[in-house]
Amino acid sequence: MDFLFLLTLLIYLAASIFHALFLTTGDRKIDRFAYWITIGGFALHSFYLVLRWLRQGEFPMAYWYDSASFFAWAIILIYLCIAHLTRLRTVGSFVVPAAFIANLIAYTLPKGNAAVSPALQNYWLITHSSFIFLAYAAFVAAFGFGLMYLIEEKRIREKKHTLLYNLLPALGRSDRIGHKCILAGVILMTIGIIIGVFWTRNVQEVTWKWVDPKVIFTIATWLIYVLQLSIRQIFGWYGRKTAYSAIVGFAAVLFTYAGVNLFLPSMHAF
Amino acid sequence: MMNQIFVVGTSHHTAPLDCRERVSFSEDQYAEAFRLLKDNRQIEEAVILSTCNRVEIYAAANSKDGCTLLFDFLSDYHEVDRRQLAQFTYNYQNLDAVRHLFNVVTSLDSMVVGEPQILGQVKAAYDHSLSAGASGDVLKRLFTKAIRVGKRVRTETEIGAGAVSISFVAVQLAKKIFQSLEDKTVVIIGAGEMSELTAQHLVENGVSKVIVANRTYEHAVEIAEKFSGTPLTYDVNLNFLVDADIVITSTNASHHLIHRKALVEIMRKRKHRYMFLIDIAVPRDIDPQVGAVENAFLYNIDDLEAVVTSNLKERGQEAEIAAQIVEAEAVKFHLELQAYDVSPIIKALYQKFQGIASRELEICLDKAALSPQQQKIVESMIQSITKKLLHQPTTHLRQVAMDSDSLEIADNLNEDHVPYVRALQVLFGLERTRETDV
Repeated sequence: MDFLFLLTLLIYLAASIFHALFLTTGDRKIDRFAYWITIGGFALHSFYLVLRWLRQGEFPMAYWYDSASFFAWAIILIYLCIAHLTRLRTVGSFVVPAAFIANLIAYTLPKGNAAVSPALQNYWLITHSSFIFLAYAAFVAAFGFGLMYLIEEKRIREKKHTLLYNLLPALGRSDRIGHKCILAGVILMTIGIIIGVFWTRNVQEVTWKWVDPKVIFTIATWLIYVLQLSIRQIFGWYGRKTAYSAIVGFAAVLFTYAGVNLFLPSMHAF
Repeated sequence: MMNQIFVVGTSHHTAPLDCRERVSFSEDQYAEAFRLLKDNRQIEEAVILSTCNRVEIYAAANSKDGCTLLFDFLSDYHEVDRRQLAQFTYNYQNLDAVRHLFNVVTSLDSMVVGEPQILGQVKAAYDHSLSAGASGDVLKRLFTKAIRVGKRVRTETEIGAGAVSISFVAVQLAKKIFQSLEDKTVVIIGAGEMSELTAQHLVENGVSKVIVANRTYEHAVEIAEKFSGTPLTYDVNLNFLVDADIVITSTNASHHLIHRKALVEIMRKRKHRYMFLIDIAVPRDIDPQVGAVENAFLYNIDDLEAVVTSNLKERGQEAEIAAQIVEAEAVKFHLELQAYDVSPIIKALYQKFQGIASRELEICLDKAALSPQQQKIVESMIQSITKKLLHQPTTHLRQVAMDSDSLEIADNLNEDHVPYVRALQVLFGLERTRETDV
């Protein structure tokens, strides 16, 4: 089992390296190779998660370890969806390393076999956490597109038509796909939050607290994205502003996911 | 002596336009030219490549002086003085001719290295020859291979990447900003060849709406007609820019027409949708500070030229890789053509038979006292027997050699005829050495 996870981790590392290598060489063969080993890593990772689920008998979501690993899996899933739909793999150079880091963190964390308290253990847990992590992954992708946008814009403004300039997608395209990622993320997150609310309502032993810091920061993150979407719609915040807000939003996601628990007590384990 | 390849031609390297014009061929002249080449010059196979930058005749012939034949044909057909024509033409044979065609088809010989048209032009020239029945086995091989080499160079090198003219650089930049140019609006302020050419290329790449603003309405109408665009009288508050995605300026104004402040206001009105401004005018029409406005991108003539220069430099590097590919392919093709050629062995066979026949004839004539007329009859009989004996095997050998690699497998030579050649060599004790340059 551990070996399987380590193997996944190493494949993601290789995928990250080859994605980065593509950006520096522009060799399409490397690009194709990086894409296929990412798919291979994803398949292995999925297999590992299912195996762990079956072994434990419960959906593995009790530890930081599980959540970080699932986060990485969701990032790759969203990336593969985008690559499939848009035929644009360049974003992989930005998000595959993120998945690798998430998995690396997971690897260093302790993992037990204890399950979430039985009262919470049901399909609510699965759907709530899945939606939230898929939303996070979509925001990671939006962050990737934001970075690509800013780099490309800088190249165009400074009139530096280098290799990177040729490889990165057109500004309008990065902006549009990044925007769609945010839109998808907000929808997924909204569903995840609603499920979370209903879930706790159904469980007697957990008293619903609006003041739970995790909840507050989640709502704040959600608001950042919703606000950005509205302003874009009304005032035409295209381009650089979308890119910046994707980056700010990503910081908020990171803090909500990992930061809150470090500083504040919460009813969420993670 | 089959399979000799010749080319005689003139190009932008060797001749000015008015000379190239005089020897060029129009499409309806091809058939006649092929017929004349065949009937009067004993040239069985020919391809004529006539573009604005070059006129070349490729031929395969059974002769050593194919180049002279082609040159004379060119001079006679167009009624150009030979001495004059000689100054402007070049000619190549065999490996050099193959190499030359490969250089042409890969655009290494073009005025702008990497230009994409030539591959299509070579294809068209070959098609004309095919449909006129003027391409035989040798030229079919040569041109199929050449077209394949042209494609290979395009896919394996970046020779065609990067625009190398101001107007194409502008189009590429626009695509780098907008991705698709469909539904985009271009506004031309002022007039000029360069701005119109750029607008033309933008329209060809999908731009749907053209607005022409000029101080003189009549001028605007005149230019707008070329793009079925909308003419406007130039208006100082620039309200027409609100709908403009791409702006091209080329006026003679001595001061800036578009200032930062005005553009910020316009950008607000168009909800900050991207605007790409191309300032071709000297002195400049657009305040350089405009380039700092969010979602507005400004390139002036120097910026565009810098891109052209750097792209040209890159093409130069790619051309070196392409030249290596061409050299390797040309040598490979030439060797293949030799391997496929069965003429030397057939020639050797005839020599052997005729040698024996004439020796025997001498002995016979020594012994028998024949009248001159009788001598002639015996001689012709011997000749006839030799020919008839050899006719079937040599025809068969040629047939096998032709079938053994149909064009589809030209890359992977199937040499069915080789065992026959070997057998003939062994059975008749023929010379093993083959002519190196057939």
